Amino acid sequence: MRSWWLVLALLPLPVRGQYTLYTCGSRTKDYVVGAKLPASGIFLKPAGGQWRHAGFNHPFISAFDFDPRDPSIVYAAAGNGLLRISDGGERWQILTGSDVTELLDVAIDANDSGAIYFSHTAGIKVSHDHGATWQDAASGLRRKYIAALRIDSRRAGVLLAGGEQGIFRSQDGGKSWRLAGAAGIQVLHIEESPHDPCFWLAATQGGGLFDSTDCGVSFESNDNLGVGRNLYDIAFDPASPNRIAVAGWGPGVAVSEDRGKTWQLRNTGLPSTNVWSVAFDPAQPGRIYTSVHEDAIYVSVDNGRTWSKDGLPGSSIFRMKFVPWTSHP
Amino acid sequence: MTRIHRLCFVSWCLLLPLLLRAGTPAFDQRVRSVVGAYAHPLNSSPPGYANIAAKLWLGEDAALCSRRLEELLAAGPTGDMFWMYPVTAIAYLDRGQLTDSARRSLRDSFRTYMPYRGDTENHWVMYYTSLYLMAQLWPDQDGSQWYTGKSSAENLREAAGWLESWVRLTTTRGQGEYDSPSYMGYYLLSMSYLAAWARDPDMKKRGSMMLDYLIADYAVKNLGGLYVGAHSRVYDREVLEKWNVASSDFGWLLFGLGYPLSPPSNAIVFYALASAYQPAEILQRIATDRSQPYIHYDLKRTRNRWRFFDQLHGPVYKTTYVRREYAIGSDQGGTLQPIQEHSWDVTWAVPDPRGVQNTLFTLHPYSSLDELQTYFTFPPDIGISGVVSSKKSYDSPDKFVGGSPYEKVFQDEDTIIVLYDIAPNSRFPHINGFFSKDLTQVREDPSGWIFARGGDALIACRPLRPYTWKPIEGGGRRLFSPYLTNGIIVQVAARSEFADLDDFRRAILMLPLEFSLDPTPRVRFHSLRRRTLEFTYGQVPLVNGTPLDYAHWPLFGGPFLEAPVDSELLILKYGTMRRRLDFHRLTVTDSR
Repeated sequence: MRSWWLVLALLPLPVRGQYTLYTCGSRTKDYVVGAKLPASGIFLKPAGGQWRHAGFNHPFISAFDFDPRDPSIVYAAAGNGLLRISDGGERWQILTGSDVTELLDVAIDANDSGAIYFSHTAGIKVSHDHGATWQDAASGLRRKYIAALRIDSRRAGVLLAGGEQGIFRSQDGGKSWRLAGAAGIQVLHIEESPHDPCFWLAATQGGGLFDSTDCGVSFESNDNLGVGRNLYDIAFDPASPNRIAVAGWGPGVAVSEDRGKTWQLRNTGLPSTNVWSVAFDPAQPGRIYTSVHEDAIYVSVDNGRTWSKDGLPGSSIFRMKFVPWTSHP
Repeated sequence: MTRIHRLCFVSWCLLLPLLLRAGTPAFDQRVRSVVGAYAHPLNSSPPGYANIAAKLWLGEDAALCSRRLEELLAAGPTGDMFWMYPVTAIAYLDRGQLTDSARRSLRDSFRTYMPYRGDTENHWVMYYTSLYLMAQLWPDQDGSQWYTGKSSAENLREAAGWLESWVRLTTTRGQGEYDSPSYMGYYLLSMSYLAAWARDPDMKKRGSMMLDYLIADYAVKNLGGLYVGAHSRVYDREVLEKWNVASSDFGWLLFGLGYPLSPPSNAIVFYALASAYQPAEILQRIATDRSQPYIHYDLKRTRNRWRFFDQLHGPVYKTTYVRREYAIGSDQGGTLQPIQEHSWDVTWAVPDPRGVQNTLFTLHPYSSLDELQTYFTFPPDIGISGVVSSKKSYDSPDKFVGGSPYEKVFQDEDTIIVLYDIAPNSRFPHINGFFSKDLTQVREDPSGWIFARGGDALIACRPLRPYTWKPIEGGGRRLFSPYLTNGIIVQVAARSEFADLDDFRRAILMLPLEFSLDPTPRVRFHSLRRRTLEFTYGQVPLVNGTPLDYAHWPLFGGPFLEAPVDSELLILKYGTMRRRLDFHRLTVTDSR
C-alpha cells in the first residue's frame, strides 16, 4: 500500500487551469532531405512563457496527442516513427521500427489505459502496452493512407479514420471498418466535440466540412464552408459549446457561433488566408491561436475578430494543442 | 599533407589527362585518383567530411582531421543520412588516428542529433547501413546514448532487419529506385560499407553480393559508361548530357569506361574508401563487350504508392537494346515514379561524351497534385510548390523529365512506338521531343519522317501529328506538338547497315505503316527488323500477332543476366563463364 502511494507521489500532477501550448511544424521553406534544416519539430509555449523549440530538430511531425493520465507524456506522429516525448519536450524515444514511415496522426484512447493508435502512409497501428508492441488496425480498409484518426471519448476502441476514400468508423479497435461518410473524398482532419460526444466534424480536401450528429456513425456535408478548398484543422471552444473554429487555405480562420450552421471568416490582422491550424486557449476564454503558412503564429483575444503576431516567425505549424501543465516531482 | 604527397598529387593531376588519352589507368590507380581528389582538393576550403575520410584512408594529417572533425560536429550536424554515411566512414577509417576528443564528439553526435530517415529508397539504405555499422561499433549501450532512444542491440536489429528485407525485395521484385544515374552511387557506397565493415559474416556477404548485383544491373545497361534507357530518377541536366552525372564516375572507376566527373562525385569516393570492390572479370566483360547487339529485359518496382492504388508497388517492365553504335531503352510508360521519371530514350555512342547531348526522346510534360499525392504526404496546398522549390522544372511546360499517365511505350529491339492520349484537362496538353544539337544530317522528309544521324546511329522518327520547333537554351530543338492524341515511332539502325542516310531513308519509307489517332491512338508498323508491331493505346502490344507477355517478364533476362521473379537469384553469363548469386543461401558460385 505504501509503495502504491509512492508511485502516485512520483507521477507528474496536472496543475488546474494551466496549460502549455504544444505545436508541431517546420521552418522548412525550400527544404529537401539532406539540406540544412532550420529549427523544426516541436515548439511549445508554457503558460505565461515564451516560445521555444523543444527536443530534436525534425522536419516531419504531423500531429501529436498527450496521455490524459499523464499529460507530461506526448506522443508525436513523425517521419521517423512514433515519438514518445517527455521532460517538457526534451526527451525523445522512437517507439516504432522500420515497418512504418511518415506517420500522419496519433490518438490516445482515454478509456483504454496504455492504448495508442497512430495512422501512417500505409495503415493504422495500435499498441495496448504503451508502445512496446504494435498490431495492425487497418486490415479491413481497402485503401490504407489515413491522414486523420480520432477515438470516441465515450468508448474504448471506437475509432474514426479519415482516408483517401472518406471517413471510416470501427467499433472494435480497428478490426473491422465501415464507411461513415465523405465517400471518395480525402479527409484531412476529424474532431469530436468535447461538449457533445455525438457531434463530430471532419475537414476534407476540396469537399468542405462534414458533420455527424449521431456519434460518428454517419457524416453529411455541412455545405457551408470550404467546398473547393482544403480545410486542415478544427477546434471546439472548451468555454462555449456552440463556438467552433476551422482553419484552411482560402477561408483562413472561420468561426461558427451556432455549432456550424453558419460561419464567419475572421482574418483581420492575418497576413494571408493560408492557415494550417487553430486552437482555443482553455485557460482564457476568447483567446485563439492560429498559424499562417511560412509566416508565424497569431493570437486573437476576441474569438478571432482581430489577430496579432505572437511568435515563431517563418514557421508552418500544422497542429496546435493545449496540454495540461504538470509539475515534475 | 607532406611535400612528397603534394608533389605526387600534383603530378597525378597533370598526368591524368595524358593517362586518359593514352589509355585508362589500372583499377588501383583509379581508386587512388578518386581518393586523392578528396584528400588533396585543389580548392582551399576547410576540409569537409569527405576530405577528412580520404585523408584518414591515406593515413595523412591526423591532427588536422581530428581538429576539423570536432569543428564540423560542434557547428551542428545537418544532412540526415547524407551526414550519417560520411561520419560512419570516418568512424571506421579512424583506425587509431583520431584524438580521443574527436572520437568522443563523433560518438556523442549520434546521441544529440536525430537524422531524418527520409522518404526514398536511397535515403533508407544509407540511413540503415550507417545505423547498423555505428551500432556495431558501439555495442552494449543503452537507449540514453542514441538519438533513437533505443539500445545498440535494438538499433542493430532494426537496421539489419530492414537491410535484409530490402535485399529480399530487390532480388525478388526488383529495385524501386532503379537505374538512377544520379542515385546509383548511394546504393553502391552503402553496400561497399557493409562488404568492408560489417562483422556479421552474413551481412558482409550480403553487402558484397549486392555489389555484384547492382553493378551487374548497371553494367548491362551502359554504353561507354553512360547509363542508358529508362530511369527511375534523373535530373534536367543529365537527361540531356548523359555523361554529366555520378554514374560516369562508376563507369570509369569500375570498368575504365568513359570519363569521370571533375571532381569525382561524393558517392564514388565513399565507395572507394570502404570496400573499393573491383568487379570480377565477368562483370568487366558484360560491361564492355558490345561486339554483338543484345536485348535485355528487367523487372523493377514503382516507388511506394501511398494513395490511389490498391498495391503498394506496381511492376515496371523494362526493355533495353544495346549495340556498339547505340542503345534504346524504355519502360511501359505511365507515372511509375514521381517527378523525375525518364521513360525512354535513344543514346548513341560518341568517343568523348563530355558536353555532348547524345540522346533523343519525347514525353508528355505532366504535372499534377494527383501524381505527387500518390507518392508523397504533402498537404495538398503545398504539393506542387514544394516540389518546384527543389525540382525547378516540375511544373514547366518545356520540361524534359517526368513520366505521364497519358504516355504508353512499346519497344521491340531497336524500334519504339510511343502513344499519347492526353486528358483534355491536363495542365500541359502537348508533347515535347528532345532533338539534340549534336544530331547531324537532320532532314524533315515530305513523308512525315524525320531522319537524322547521331554518331554511327541512323535515326528515323515519325511524329504522328503536326509539330513545330522551339529553341532550347544551350542548343538543340524542342519538338512541340499540341494534340491530345498523338504518338511517335522511332526506328534506329547502325550506319554500317546502310550505304548512307539516303539508303536508310529509302529502307524506312518501304516499311508498311498504318496509324490512326482518333478516338484512340493505334499503330501498325512493320519494323526494319522484319517484325510486325501493333500497338493500341491502353492495350497489350502485339509482335507478329502475339501479345507481349507481361505476365512472365523476367526479373532479368538476356544474354548476360538471368533471374526469375521471386527467385533471390541472379546468374551472370558471359560465354562459358557463369557467376551465380544465391541470396537465399548467401552463396556465390563461379564456373567457366
